[in-house]
Order: sequence, then structure tokens, then C-alpha cells
Amino acid sequence: MSTIVDTARDAGDARRDTVMRDDPPRRGSAGLWRLALALAALSLTAAILLTSVSVWFLGAVALAGAGSAAIGFDFHTPGALVRLFALTRTAAKYGERLSGHAAALTDQVALRLTIFEAMAAAPSTTSAGWQLSREERLADWLDDVEDRDDERLRVVFPAATLSLGLVLLAIATAVVAAAAAPAILLLAAAGLLLMRHSMRRIGAAETAARAARRKGSAGLGAALQALVPLAAEGLRRSETAAALDHFRNVQSLQRDQAEALAAIDVAAGLFGPLAVTAVMLAAWQAGARGDALLPAAFVGFGWLALGEAAGVVSKIVLGRVKAVRARAGLAVWTDPDERRAAVSPVLAGRVTAVSLVGLGLQAPGGRAFCRRLDATFLVGRPTALVGVSGSGKTTLLKTIAGWLAPAGGTIHVDGEAANPAARQGLVHLCLHDAAILSDTVRANLFAGGASDAEIAAALAFVELGERVAAGGGLDAWVTQDRLSLGEAQRLNLARAFLTTAPVILLDEPMEHLDPAQAVRILARLRRHAEDRVLVYSAHRPPLAGDAVLSL
Amino acid sequence: MKASSDRSGAALSLARNAAARDRRVITLLEGLRTLGRLGFAAGLALTVGRMIEAGTLEAGALFAALASMGLGAAAGWLSGRRTARAEAFVADVILSKAEAALAEMPVRDLGARPRGRLVAALQRQPQDLARLVVSHACARQTMSVGPLLAAAAVAAVSWEAACVLLLATPLMIVFFALVGGAIQERADAREASLGRLAAQFADRVRALPTILANHALASEASKLEERIGAYARGTMSVLSIAFLNSGILDFFSSLSIAVLAVFLGLGHLGLLDIPGFDHLALWQSLYILVVAAEYFAPFRRYAELYHAKSQGAAAAAALDEILFAPAARRVAGPLAPVDPERLAASLPKTGLVAITGPSGAGKTTLLRRLAGVDGAAPAGLGAAARPSWIATDSYMPAGSLADALAWKVGGAGRSNTAVAVSAVAEQLGLLDDALLPGGMDAAIAPGGENLSGGQRVRLAVARMLLANGPAFCDEPTAKLDAGNAARVRRALAAAALTRLVVVATHDEALVALAVRRIDLGAPHSLKEPAAA
Repeated sequence: MSTIVDTARDAGDARRDTVMRDDPPRRGSAGLWRLALALAALSLTAAILLTSVSVWFLGAVALAGAGSAAIGFDFHTPGALVRLFALTRTAAKYGERLSGHAAALTDQVALRLTIFEAMAAAPSTTSAGWQLSREERLADWLDDVEDRDDERLRVVFPAATLSLGLVLLAIATAVVAAAAAPAILLLAAAGLLLMRHSMRRIGAAETAARAARRKGSAGLGAALQALVPLAAEGLRRSETAAALDHFRNVQSLQRDQAEALAAIDVAAGLFGPLAVTAVMLAAWQAGARGDALLPAAFVGFGWLALGEAAGVVSKIVLGRVKAVRARAGLAVWTDPDERRAAVSPVLAGRVTAVSLVGLGLQAPGGRAFCRRLDATFLVGRPTALVGVSGSGKTTLLKTIAGWLAPAGGTIHVDGEAANPAARQGLVHLCLHDAAILSDTVRANLFAGGASDAEIAAALAFVELGERVAAGGGLDAWVTQDRLSLGEAQRLNLARAFLTTAPVILLDEPMEHLDPAQAVRILARLRRHAEDRVLVYSAHRPPLAGDAVLSL
Repeated sequence: MKASSDRSGAALSLARNAAARDRRVITLLEGLRTLGRLGFAAGLALTVGRMIEAGTLEAGALFAALASMGLGAAAGWLSGRRTARAEAFVADVILSKAEAALAEMPVRDLGARPRGRLVAALQRQPQDLARLVVSHACARQTMSVGPLLAAAAVAAVSWEAACVLLLATPLMIVFFALVGGAIQERADAREASLGRLAAQFADRVRALPTILANHALASEASKLEERIGAYARGTMSVLSIAFLNSGILDFFSSLSIAVLAVFLGLGHLGLLDIPGFDHLALWQSLYILVVAAEYFAPFRRYAELYHAKSQGAAAAAALDEILFAPAARRVAGPLAPVDPERLAASLPKTGLVAITGPSGAGKTTLLRRLAGVDGAAPAGLGAAARPSWIATDSYMPAGSLADALAWKVGGAGRSNTAVAVSAVAEQLGLLDDALLPGGMDAAIAPGGENLSGGQRVRLAVARMLLANGPAFCDEPTAKLDAGNAARVRRALAAAALTRLVVVATHDEALVALAVRRIDLGAPHSLKEPAAA
């Protein structure tokens, strides 16, 4: 566990160094956090004083009423104080909630952008199949982001204010009932030890639950994907059940956690009552009677009020446990050694030839393909990459695009060796599993400089003009699940029509399209991009007249 | 989503029924816990009051207070444990129901449901639902019992003070009602707003490679900043109303203590002649003060669980929608082009049978019917030993290549010993595959994610050789290079010597090895099987 914490801390520091160096929203939240912390402390103090002063006041008036001092007793001041504390407690609590959440939300925006940019710069984004495009992985990951978002509000603040109350009351106890102070501190120490112990247990359960949840998701996802083979082989029931058993395991681990948290709740609930008893007995033992007991009652009932506020410690424990693991999970994306330069903006201009010179390929997993490739892709002469599944078509396209490192050899652009960053700027890569953003049609085309007429022409090229018009035009909102696979693919191809990049690489452009339509669209794209270098991969037979590179 | 939750609410009623018994026990324990706390309050007030006022230490009262606290704590502990167990039980009931649905729903119906959402839902939503029907429901029940117990406890000392508390409640409820509309609105808005915030963020994370491929990182990042910033501001404005909810509770609980303290104080001084507030002993007024705080505690505990409600309701709706609801329309499979029962009866016990025909003729449909994927397997097929299914989507367990090959195979007369396993791996060229380095220890990712379609087919064929049931192969050679296609054809022909091997294929070289050819001809036209 310590390694996890360390990794998280290191990565956290690295992130601050590299990504958060200019982070205005985060600075903007600092004032709010300070305000929230001050209000939280004020609210807790007022809550303690409300109880303490009320009890002291009742004790004082009861003693005064019994004697002759009743007439002269100044009840206005304590009465006003009590009302003041009541209102302060309420108002400060409200203010704390508001400023705390405002600060947390400000941070949330900054933190999410930081994570987004870090992920964009992480190598796994461009290498393998994008795992976070899968809903269940994304859900896990978003949980991590939220656990991190909430940490201050749920963990740091309550812990800080409770500690403050503890210290103040401990000092007060040492003054009014010295004998009780060691007992109470012992009690608090025992509570902290219990908390530490439970945190370890709850943390271990959390680690195991995360692993089991991931296994279950992977298993269930694989089983659902292979539903037909499993059904044919009579293994469907046993495989889905095995995946769900992982989820059952998660549930039983969560039950263990909840039981441990319930024990913490009970222990926290005992603290206030025991402390008030200790203070009163210590003062009594020290010989205090009558009036002299009032300060002890004041402090003792303060402990009782603090004990009520200590009901949140179980939430602190759980929040901390989750945040530690969430940070470790998120640190993967911000490992400074693994960073690479962000993809540079597209460069317009002309390219007449892209050549592979003794190029070796290696798949994202690190395995190398045997062959070395020598080939030249010329402007105006589209090239089809053909080869069986797994022969490296996608790997080659991503290598040319500068997304993957080659296993030796070089790539020349117009006769000169070009490094990956330079190639990234020249290439439009049309991914076979490209996503549709939840946004307008226009935003989905990524064509900031294009006119409506150009966009309409591009949509007509991919035979989506009518569909888009019927769906509400360019500024209508689209989502991935509202489009068929074929429509999504055609929208993706429209991006290739609109790009200004001099090199266009298409990975399986004919996938999900009916063959005749695929040929029509590809032929149009070929004409449209005759001044560019065009390379596409295909399972189906390539268009007549195109150069062919067989892998 | 709305329609399905209105219609059935299957998940919610299932969860409620599963929780019913535990809920009664938990509410009872919570009641005991409240009694314990009240008992402690009484004992503490008596002890402290007598100490100050009479100068006597009432040891009996102190012991009673501590004992009562202990009992309350024990009840609280038991209630917490019981809650944890009840929630785990309810979540398990939901999972079992899901398990049954996953095992029994027609393959076509299940396959048409959104896979990612289904997995994400089963991962966490049973627990969300369990929290709604256990924790949240119990907090609500306790809210109706706890304050009454506290009021009754106050009434034992001063029924007038109890009346003050009870009178404060309608006032509080009026305030709640006033803010209530806004609260409901903000709860919905907050849910929607945070959902949208998360949705925009999640959507851009999902689409990150596409954004990079289109050189749109900078523009998308600034758009994202603007959008989640706007949602955060929107959320904040609704939260400011939202927190009035807790604010009202804080206000009433704080002010009732303040007001009671002042009134009780004036009573002690003899400056006030209100029945129930004057001529009280100190312990009685301390008692009223402490118990008054207890009166509001259940309200606050309930208010803390507000998000459990919305999460639970969302979970119930999602589970109903994606799993428990019947398919929106019957996912009717295409009719098999020939009657599978009749065809099955005419198939030989051993030998290679080829189903051929152009794309769309129904080859896969027929193969699925013969293998019993859609509906029961036709009589006489697949009953004796477990059949094998060979296709690019064949299931791959995670682990090493050796594990994947030996997984759940090795029927009677067959062997999954290491020797046999390496032999079939060798036979299908899996060991000298440059794309799968590591030999028998080569790692297979969950779901075979790191394998190409061709590798999956060869692995499935190798597994089939280790088993001894009939084999159903969907385009087994389509994605293979010439060498591997030949390997697969040889393996299928060898297997066909001892069992039935049915292939749906375009590969004439494979068809040539068949003892019988079923040509389905043009799409959608029904033809009688023709013997080859």
C-alpha cells in the first residue's frame, strides 16, 4: 500500500510541476478554500459553544435562583450569546457548504482539464485500442476522478476542523479538570488507532474490490461479446455466472467495509459521552462543588457537542481510502517519463511523396512484425494497403502518422527524413474506430475554417446530406448511439473530405458500408484529394487503378 | 426510460421485497439506539444537575447513564452491521436475477442490448439500489419514530416543553414545503447538471483519439473548459438553494436549544411564570436541553441520505431498462433458409458438411440454428458431447496460450495434457507465430483483445481438436493467409474423420473437402438442401 501512496504522491508532484504550472482556476479556488475552512472552524466552534454556554448558563441561573442573587443576575448577556451562537452555527454551516462546494467545483473544472490534457499526451491514447472508449472502463475511471474531486470536502476539511476542536477542548480540559485530560487524550488516541487499523482493513478491501470489479467487467464484457460461441458450446451460463461472481465478491468486500465503518461510527459515538463523564468526575474528584463545577460542565458538554460532530469520521476514513487509490489510478496518465509532445496542429502545404525506407513495424504491445518495408506513396496516386487481419495495416498507418514508434528504418517526406512530430502535423488519420462526439454535426467535422457550402459539399460526398438536413441541420446535436455504424463511418469520412492536411491516411474506410456505397465514396474522395498523398487500408478489393502495398 | 420504470419497476419491487424483513429489524434496532441515547441523556442530566445543584454524586444515575449508552451503542453497532448485510443481500438478489436474465434471455435479444452500459450497470447499480431500499428507507422510518420518542422523553419531565418541540415541527415542515419545491427542482437540476458535466467530460475522454487524429485537442480543451465551467456555475446556483434544506434543519435545531435554554434559565431565576418551564430542577432543564437536540437528529440523518435516493432511483430505472425489461420489440431472428430440424436429421455422424451461398443467403443463421444458439439444438446434434464453435469471435479465456487451449476441453477419450495441448498448438502454427511471441506461455488478454481475428480462429480450431463434440465453423478461413488457411483446412478435415464438422464458408478449397454441400443459393430464396 505504501508504494501506491508513494506513486500517487510522486505523480501528483510531477503533475503540478509539468501540467499545473499555469493553472489560474486553481489559484482562484484558494481564497474560497480558506473561507470555507474558516467558516467550518467557526461553525464547529459555535456548535460547541452553543451547548457549553447553554449548560453553563442553566447551571449558573439554577444556583443563582436558589439563592438571593436571582434579581441581580445578568441573564441578557448569556441569553444573547446563546442566540448568537445558534445563528452563527447555522449561518457559518451554510456559508461553509456554499464556499466549500464553490471551491470544489472550481477545482473540478481545473482538475478535469488537467487530466484531459495529460491523457491526450499519454502514449496509450494513440497506441492501442482506446480502452476508455468502453463504457465500463470509463465508468471506473470517472469514479476515480470523482473520488479525487471530493477529497478536500469529504476528508481534509472535516479532519482539520475536528482536530482543531479536539486541541481547543483538550487545552480547556487541562485547565478546568486536569485529571480528565490524560484520560480523554488516551481515549482519542485509542480512537485514532482504531481508525488507522480500520483504514488498513478498509483499504485492503478497497484494493481487492477494485481488482474484482475490473475482472468482473472484463469477464462479463468478454462473455457478452462472445455470446454466440459460448451459447453454441453450452458455456454461456457458466461464463456469465463466473463474471458475476467477481461482482458478488465486490459486494461482500463492500459489506466488510460497511461493517468496519459501522464500528468506527459506534466508537465515535462513545467518545463524547465518555469525555463529558470523565471531565465531570475529574472536577468532582478534585473537590469542585456548586459554582466551581460550572467550568467543568462548560467544557464537558463541549466534548459532548464535539462527539456529535465526530459522526463524520467514518466518512473521512472511506473518503481517504478511496482518494488514495483514485490518485494512484489516475497517476498512470501523468507519468512524466511516458509523456510525449502533444499532437501539433495540422500544417497546410504540399507533399509530393512519402517513402518508407527499410521501415520495421512494432505493434503497441511491443511485438515486432518481421518484414521491413520499402515503399513510396505519391501524390495523385492513391495506395491501398491489403493484408490479412493482424498483418499490421493499422500499425503502419499509425506509424506513418507519428502515433507509434517504428522498429527501425525511417520515413521520408519529399525525400527528407521526417520525425514523428513533423509527420503528425502533416497527416490526417481517419481511424477505423473513430468516435462521434456528443456535439453538433458542425463540431464533429472539426472544420473550423470551412464555410457552410464546403461542409454541405463534404456531407454530400459521403451521402449524408439528406440525413443531416432531416436531423436538423449542421447545428443539430448528434451522439454516437443515435447514428448507425454506417452513418458514423460516413461522418468520419466527411472529416477526411474537409481536412487541409497534405497526407490523408484512412484505416478501413469501407468498413460498415455497403460495398457499392463504399466504392462511390472512396472514388469521390480520391478525386477530391488528388493533390494529396492518400493511403487506405482495405479488407475488400481496392479500387481499380490504385497502387497496392501488400503486407 | 420513464416508460419502463412506470410500467414495471421490477428491480425496485424485487429489492424492496428482499429488504422487507431486515428493514423492520433495523428500524427496531435504531429505535433501541435512540432509547439508549435518551437514557444516557437522562442519566447524564441527573448526575450533572445533582452534582451542581445538590452537591451529591448520584452514582446510580451515572451507572444507568453509562449502561444505557452502552446499550444504545450496541444497538447502533448491530444496526450498522445489519444494514451492511442487508444491503449486500439485496444487491446479491438483484445480481442473481441478472444472472438468470443473462443465462436465459434469447441470444439475439441480449446481443441487441448495449453491452458497455449493461456491464457498467451491473458493476455498481445493484448496490445503489440496495442503499435506497435499506439505508434510505430505514432512515425514513426512523425519522417518523425517533422524534416522537424524543418528544415523549421530554414530556416525561415537562409536557409543555415537549409541546414546544412538537409545535416547532409543523413550522419546520412549512419551511420545508416552501423550500421543498425548489429543493426538488435543484435535486433534479443538480443531477442533470452534474450528469451533463460528467457526460461532456466523459464523452471527450472517450473520443480522445479521434480528437487527436483531427488535430482538435486545443479547440476541444477550451470548449470543454467553457462547458464544464458553465455547468459548474449552474450547479452552484442550484446548490445555494439546495443547502437551505440542511440550513433549515440546522436553524431549528440550534434555535430550539437557544430558546429552550433562555426560557429554562428565566424559569430558574423565577423571572418567568410559564407552566412547565418554572420550578424545574437543574437536571430537568439540562435533560430537556440535551433531548431537544436528539429530537432533530433523525431529520438530519435522513437529509444526509438525499443522494442515496436519486442514485437508487436511477439504478432501478437503468436496471429495468437494460436488463429486466422485455425487448422493446421482439427481436425476431431471420428465418433459417432451410428447416434445421429436417436438415439435422439428414446430417451424417461424421464428416465435413459445407454450407455455401452468397452473403446474406442465411449461412450463419442456419449454422446458429444447428448449433442451438437460437432456440434449442435440433435433436441428434450436440447432445452427446460439447460442441465447438469456430469463428473470429470465439471466446478466449485470459491467461497463457496453454491455459486458453486447455480451457474446458478434454472430454472422454480426449486429452488436455501438456503434450496434447502443445501438439495442437504446433499443428495450427500458433507456436511459431511472430505475432504471438512466447510459445505456450504467450499472454492472452481478457476476451482475447490482443489477438487478431485469424489467431482467434486458429486457437478455436486447436481447442476443437482437443474436444470431441461436433464443430460449427463460421467462415473459418476467411481472415487467414494462405499458409494458415491450409493448416485450418487440414485440421478440419482431420477432425471430420471422427465427428461432424459443419462449416459456413465461401472457401472453395474447403468446400472441396466436404462430404456434403448445402448450397443456399441466392439471398432469401428457400431451397431444399442439395446433396453434394
